[in-house]
Amino acid sequence: IDLSSHIVKVYLTLKVENAGSTPTSEVLLSFPPTQADHLATVEALVTKGKRKKTTLVRLDVKATELPDAPNDAKYFTIYLANPLKSGESTTIEVLYLLTHSQEPFPAEIAQSESQLVYYRDSALILSPYHIKQQTTFIKTPSTKVESFTRVEPSNRAGTEIKYGPYEDHPPYSFSPILIHFENNSPFAVVEELVREVEISHWGNLQVTEQYTLVHAGARHKGVFSRVDYQSRPTLNGASSLRYLLARLPPRVHSVYYRDEIGNISSSHLRTDSRKSELEIEPRYPLFGGWKATFVIGYGLPLQDFLFETSDDRRYLNFTFGCPLLETVVDKLTVKVVLPEGSKDPSAVVPFPVEQHLETKYSYLDVVGRTVVVMEKKNLVPAHNSHFQVYYTFKPIFMLAEPLMLASAFFLFFVACVAYLHIDLSIRK
Amino acid sequence: MVCSWGGYTFIINLIPMHVLLCIVTGRFSSRLYIAYAPLVVLGTLLAALVPVVGFNAVMTSEHFASFLVFIIIHVVAFVYYIKGILSPKMFKVAVTLVVSVGLAVCCAVIAVLIALVASSPTKGWSGRSLSLLDPTYASKYIPIIASVSEHQPPTWPSYFMDINVLAFLVPAGIIACFLPLSDASSFVVLYIATSVYFSGVMVRLMLVLAPAACITSGIALSQAFDVFTGSIKFQLTGASSNTEVDAAETSSSTAESQTDAVKTEKPEETAKNRPSRKSKKKEREHGEKPSTEAKAEKKRLLALPLESSVISLLLLVLLGAFYVVHCVWAAAEAYSAPSIVLTSRSHDGLHVFDDFREAYAWLRHNTDVDDKVASWWDYGYQTTAMANRTVIVDNNTWNNTHIATVGTAMSSPERAAWEIFHSLDVKYVLVVFGGLVGYPSDDINKFLWMVRIGGGVFPHIKEPDYLRDGQYRIDSQATPTMLNCLMYKLSYYRFVETDGKGFDRVRQTEIGKKYFKLTHFEEAFTTHHWMVRIYKLKPPKNRIRGKTKKSKSKTSSTTSSPKRSGTKKKNPWQ
Repeated sequence: IDLSSHIVKVYLTLKVENAGSTPTSEVLLSFPPTQADHLATVEALVTKGKRKKTTLVRLDVKATELPDAPNDAKYFTIYLANPLKSGESTTIEVLYLLTHSQEPFPAEIAQSESQLVYYRDSALILSPYHIKQQTTFIKTPSTKVESFTRVEPSNRAGTEIKYGPYEDHPPYSFSPILIHFENNSPFAVVEELVREVEISHWGNLQVTEQYTLVHAGARHKGVFSRVDYQSRPTLNGASSLRYLLARLPPRVHSVYYRDEIGNISSSHLRTDSRKSELEIEPRYPLFGGWKATFVIGYGLPLQDFLFETSDDRRYLNFTFGCPLLETVVDKLTVKVVLPEGSKDPSAVVPFPVEQHLETKYSYLDVVGRTVVVMEKKNLVPAHNSHFQVYYTFKPIFMLAEPLMLASAFFLFFVACVAYLHIDLSIRK
Repeated sequence: MVCSWGGYTFIINLIPMHVLLCIVTGRFSSRLYIAYAPLVVLGTLLAALVPVVGFNAVMTSEHFASFLVFIIIHVVAFVYYIKGILSPKMFKVAVTLVVSVGLAVCCAVIAVLIALVASSPTKGWSGRSLSLLDPTYASKYIPIIASVSEHQPPTWPSYFMDINVLAFLVPAGIIACFLPLSDASSFVVLYIATSVYFSGVMVRLMLVLAPAACITSGIALSQAFDVFTGSIKFQLTGASSNTEVDAAETSSSTAESQTDAVKTEKPEETAKNRPSRKSKKKEREHGEKPSTEAKAEKKRLLALPLESSVISLLLLVLLGAFYVVHCVWAAAEAYSAPSIVLTSRSHDGLHVFDDFREAYAWLRHNTDVDDKVASWWDYGYQTTAMANRTVIVDNNTWNNTHIATVGTAMSSPERAAWEIFHSLDVKYVLVVFGGLVGYPSDDINKFLWMVRIGGGVFPHIKEPDYLRDGQYRIDSQATPTMLNCLMYKLSYYRFVETDGKGFDRVRQTEIGKKYFKLTHFEEAFTTHHWMVRIYKLKPPKNRIRGKTKKSKSKTSSTTSSPKRSGTKKKNPWQ
């Protein structure tokens, strides 16, 4: 269990043995309901081959089991590529990410105090199967650990706490532990993010992102002293948010970073051929409970992202998720604005999202542009995978806008010519 | 113009003055009457529709000039009409009759008017207008008007900065207006004279001087261009043809120019009337040959040599170009700085001081929507717009007593200031401090005005208390009142910890009181370069010291009172 940032990363290495008589291809993972609410992603890998060639085995939607689920535990099923025969065992690597699982305690801290958080978990994983042996390693960000529950045998060495090994525990056994430790990594949470991707067939993809950023750690109480903050930054405001890093695709142009008042000048953009990095500093350092809102916008060349399928449909291949590193997004709305004249939009996203369609009216629009809106809650940077939006577009519609403009000017000039040459006088 | 600026009073006094001038110089005509009379009626009616003006349009002294001249123009028109229909002898009789009756009526009316006007303390003029007529008025009676830096008289260099080349073209234009003097040119002369006076009183009225200066210098320049181009034309065509052609050419060339340098005669008028002169030149030549020979001689004498006129033309064009360059530069450097974002050039590029927006953004996001912010009135509109919070006083400076309250609070010691702010339901106090970076327009520099304005309404704030030997200081020689006032404490709280000595870059001294604590305020936010400092009012204590002691002493005194036969202690709770 990696507790170094505010997103908890848990790596499970499961050696599963089929003790039954029939081959199965499903393995169940269960989570206590409080953890299941904060679960962002679950991934499973199986290592195959001698050279650690990993194949990703897809994960299925959670299906709450029948009433023999004790205390409303939630389940995830892992489908194995090859069914496991009776008596065989295989090793599965599972990674799941939890958000909002570190609770700041004390809930309010002054500027010079460092941030301490609680983490609640179980020494034994909640498993529907019999556990033969289990060891848990917990990694804290620093060596300062106030307390941790001792479940024998447990041991602490530097930044690592070891629980185990535990032998022979029945299914659904649970042993709660509570770790109180110091975590000064920035607790950046984006409360709401609205990303708008506008496709223009004249060669540009314009992305506008509106953020509401909040510091989700221990709330700040008392004075904010700038002199202390500037003179001893490690001691004062150790957990404050000073800057954020955003990873953008390469060949990005016209990047702007502004808020309701105006442009924010404290940002740096570094580009190279494989990626661009935008380092933004909010106008003021964010302490616990402080908010900031801003808008980041940039343009991308269309040929990197728009492709054509074999049956004449175009699709946009773009990243879903927030480009900021190490931030949790509570609610994300992605809007893809298709050019006028597109028909049959459909989105293919690797994880479940809520979709609906809207219309947006923009420059030189007659019928309006179709917007595919996708909403998702509780995202982490691991969700930054690609999604596709398919649509049909007849190339003749590209001429609509130039023809509209040309005909407008043409009619205007014709009217001028006519006006100058028409003689409307009544008598000669 | 009534809708946009209070400076419309200048216009409505200038136009009646001009009408009066025209009447006095004998230029009364039906044109003047038709132009002026409906203007007064319609103008006053429309001005009264603007909510800010309302009935002031007929009640304040600033508008009386237009009404007076309205009456005068009617009287004059009537006199002219009567003069037209009566014979001279009858006219004299009528005049004596009217004068005697009219004089009596006039006296009565003027007496009533004077009584009305004298009944108001400012004789009917608003404070702003009075400060124009008497430049020392504002500094004596209304410190708020005196405190605005744009209300100070301008320096001579500021004239050159603002109107540049026009400064010496204006006198030339005035002279040009007199040759000849028509209704329009007399208006221009009057306009430029009054606007020069007023812009000398207040630098912000440079605004009024600018159009007048442009008009007059435009007249001067166009006259100059006429002379030069006329001479060039004369020289070019005069050199290659005979006298008759000369005459025609000069007559046509002078006809082409719009000058009124010499009184125009009929040939020129007829030449002007023809639209296409080039084709009709030959006809004019033959028709006007004899009469224009004398004219030609005159014109040939007036023409300048060719080279000098060409060079002068080029120099004039160059002058215009330099003027444009200067104007663009002045607009870019002096009038385009937003004064919210400050920049400074250092060896590693442009350094941006975005402290104001940082503070307003912090206020916007990290305070409750109902929280009130108290600051000096300069930042009122900015706080309302960018921080979206209620302010106590803002740039409208509408309520002088309210501003004086804030000024008093800033000049009082901490406890008294806390009481004032608490009564105003203020949560945050904002001060601007430029001592760390050297920003000169901060609140400590404006502090004396706060004292003056506060002292104008609350007499316990006396300006000499804050000055040592008549000098305003904040170092160790400052007076104790100064070192204990809220503004000093809020600006310099923990400032000494930045460099160990507390050296203020704007005042160029070390501060007087370096180590102190705030008892009733706590620091909520300070921006990156310390330019804006926001403090929060500490909530009142739950228990008030002293009252419990009194009740304890009361109980003890009641138990012991049977023993005492002396004075009975008065119960403070009844």
